[in-house]
Amino acid sequence: MAASASDIRSALSIASQPQNPAQTPAQSKKLQAQSSRKPDGISRELYSLIGPSAPSLAAQLAKPKLKQKPNLGSRSVVKWEWRSFTNGARKDKLQLRHWTKAATDVNADYPFAKYNVQSTPYIYTDEEYTQYLQDPEWTKEETDFLFNVVREFDTRWYVIYDRYDFQGGPARSMEVSVVLFKLDTYDQSTLSPQDLKDRYYSACRKLIRNRPWSGDEASKSSLLASFHFDKEREITRKKYVASLENRTPDQVAEEEALYIEVKRLEQSERKFKKDREDLLRVLSGVESGLPDVLEDESPFNNLPIIDTKKKRKGPSSGFLPTDVDSPTSASNVIALDPPIVRKPRDPKSIAYDAQHCIIRTDLPPNVQATKAAHHPAFMRSFKLPYPKAALAPRINQIFAELGINNTRLVMPTRDNCARLEGLMEHISALVESKKILDKLEYDIQVAKKRLGIRNSEDREGGGGGGKGKGVGIGSAMDVDDGDADADAEAEEESVRDGRAQSIVSTKSARSRRPTRRSMSISSVDTNATASARASNKRKFRN
Amino acid sequence: MSNDRVRVRGLSIFRPIIYGNTATVLTPKERESLSSPDHTHKWTVAVRSAASNPNSDIVGGADDLSYFIKRVVFKLHETYPNQSRTVDKPPFEVSETGWGEFEIQIRITFISESGEKAILLYHHLKLHPWNATGEAEIPPLDVAIKYGPVHSWQYDEIVFNDPFQNFLSILTAHPPTPLPKGSKRPVPFHLSNPASLEASKGGTPEFTTQMAKEEADRLDAAKKEVLAQQEAMRLQIVEKEKELDSLQRQLNSMA
Repeated sequence: MAASASDIRSALSIASQPQNPAQTPAQSKKLQAQSSRKPDGISRELYSLIGPSAPSLAAQLAKPKLKQKPNLGSRSVVKWEWRSFTNGARKDKLQLRHWTKAATDVNADYPFAKYNVQSTPYIYTDEEYTQYLQDPEWTKEETDFLFNVVREFDTRWYVIYDRYDFQGGPARSMEVSVVLFKLDTYDQSTLSPQDLKDRYYSACRKLIRNRPWSGDEASKSSLLASFHFDKEREITRKKYVASLENRTPDQVAEEEALYIEVKRLEQSERKFKKDREDLLRVLSGVESGLPDVLEDESPFNNLPIIDTKKKRKGPSSGFLPTDVDSPTSASNVIALDPPIVRKPRDPKSIAYDAQHCIIRTDLPPNVQATKAAHHPAFMRSFKLPYPKAALAPRINQIFAELGINNTRLVMPTRDNCARLEGLMEHISALVESKKILDKLEYDIQVAKKRLGIRNSEDREGGGGGGKGKGVGIGSAMDVDDGDADADAEAEEESVRDGRAQSIVSTKSARSRRPTRRSMSISSVDTNATASARASNKRKFRN
Repeated sequence: MSNDRVRVRGLSIFRPIIYGNTATVLTPKERESLSSPDHTHKWTVAVRSAASNPNSDIVGGADDLSYFIKRVVFKLHETYPNQSRTVDKPPFEVSETGWGEFEIQIRITFISESGEKAILLYHHLKLHPWNATGEAEIPPLDVAIKYGPVHSWQYDEIVFNDPFQNFLSILTAHPPTPLPKGSKRPVPFHLSNPASLEASKGGTPEFTTQMAKEEADRLDAAKKEVLAQQEAMRLQIVEKEKELDSLQRQLNSMA
């Protein structure tokens, strides 16, 4: 009860030591030390009763420390308003309403409008197509068609697959559903929907790569990466997915069983190894100093661990395991050379280079250094690009329009010289395109003229043609008529008598016919119809 | 020692310099004391380091370039007595009086450790005040004197490829004073940037990295414009190709 007595003393703030000479300073120190070890969450009285022998209880008694409650009351309440807004991403002027903080600007843009990202459609010229995009599997027409569909459906590939029906091309997307759901029966020889993506993305990549780029290299490569599409990989992936989905329950069960089996084998192997190590230790009689047996699941995982262990152990124990008598140490001493990696330039050296105006370039490894190959010292501005002589006047004109002096720079730094060079290239390309455009315009005019001439000829010849046609038709009719005539005449042969009679007499042939019919009963029908037709024809003609 | 004469491959090192002239109109009094009274201007042509000393009234020249430049020869107009002026010691500059502008040939010879040939530069001696058009419009002297000193400086960088080891050590022992990011002093006027005329007035100009950045921005803006035009033209070409195609088809169908 000494503790409680001292507690009372401390509670009454009475100095304990002077008034309790019986207690030695050492004791009180001990007591203090003891009481200072009192864990949280247990009352002093209880602790002094049970002593330090109940750590588990103390842990349970410890109050859970919770995060402090957020102080909600002190802040002023934010005011919200029911406002109408226009979405900048919409083309129609639809007005919707939403709740916004009253503090926000009324005229601020709708913050979600920026997520309506429009993909930039890629269009290529004939020249670009012939230069970069030719593919033996694709015609230009089909490529045009593909790009149009992609543009129309905003690269939503499932829709594109669905709507893609290029007349006359090889079937590319029709079996999309088949492929998607029956990938296990997927056959390399059939054309796949991957073709569409592959063609589109590869074409875009080629365009990006070959077109002048306004940004820096990093943004170009990131854009290129966003158009990355590996057809083979995609096919393999889909195959894997399909095979994964198409497993039978039996297969799934088997797989699980196998997995458990593998785990079990690993475990038993580990146990075996451990036993072997123990045995070896006992046999070699060296109980201490051997490194701990490492449980290696994969042989490469723990190499660094071994390293650190050795480092820690070596100097402190002063005993290095001899390689000879411990079989495990043989594996332990394997030290892998650090992999030779090209060190990324550390900021220090970059700063050093910047300070001293040093520019390092990677050397092609097998270039022999000769005196002749040495590039003598030069002024940066000496290396400004010259326009191609043939295009120079036009290029210089464009430079003048842009307000850029292409022969001198204010600050011909390396960067700016490179920029000017790039600009020169772009302007050359622009001049070249202008040439193409001019040629096209000329061709169009020629074609239009030719068409005009052809048309006027046709109108003339169109009249003539019309006549000719009329004549043609007429003559055709004539021929037809003639045929009919011939027909009629051939058939009339038999009725000649009748007709002659009809001409002679005013009586109709028909009225006469019965008499003739009576004469040759066998030919009654044909004669009757033939004569009727003949007489009709005659009437028509007259 | 033999190691010193090895070239450090894959490395190029440059030193920013400026070259050009400053010119001031002589007062009538000063002219009287001259041997040739028809001279109207006093000028100094120089090759200096690009960075300026703070609080100095000369353009550039913060560093002494003699650690890599052995000699500079200024070849003046033939009417000057001993036309070629050789300067072996810093500062590498020649001061003269004269009445007319002409082209000065500047030959920079490097120290022997560099193993490099001399470099030739040309500078048009500028005496008369700048104007936006760049046309030589010479104001009367009493007007010109109010403009103050005329500055005409060109920034450039001397690039050494694969320098010898010992030359490289010499260069790295003398890192150039970096250009300030910006400056309160006027911008050195340059005909490639006529817009800087206003900013170039009122005192001794100073070169800054800001100028390089502004030029980069100008070039980038021009590039954007060119690319926009190119894109527009591409669309036009595609359209025209389609038109031509349909025309051709019509023609073919008629034939």
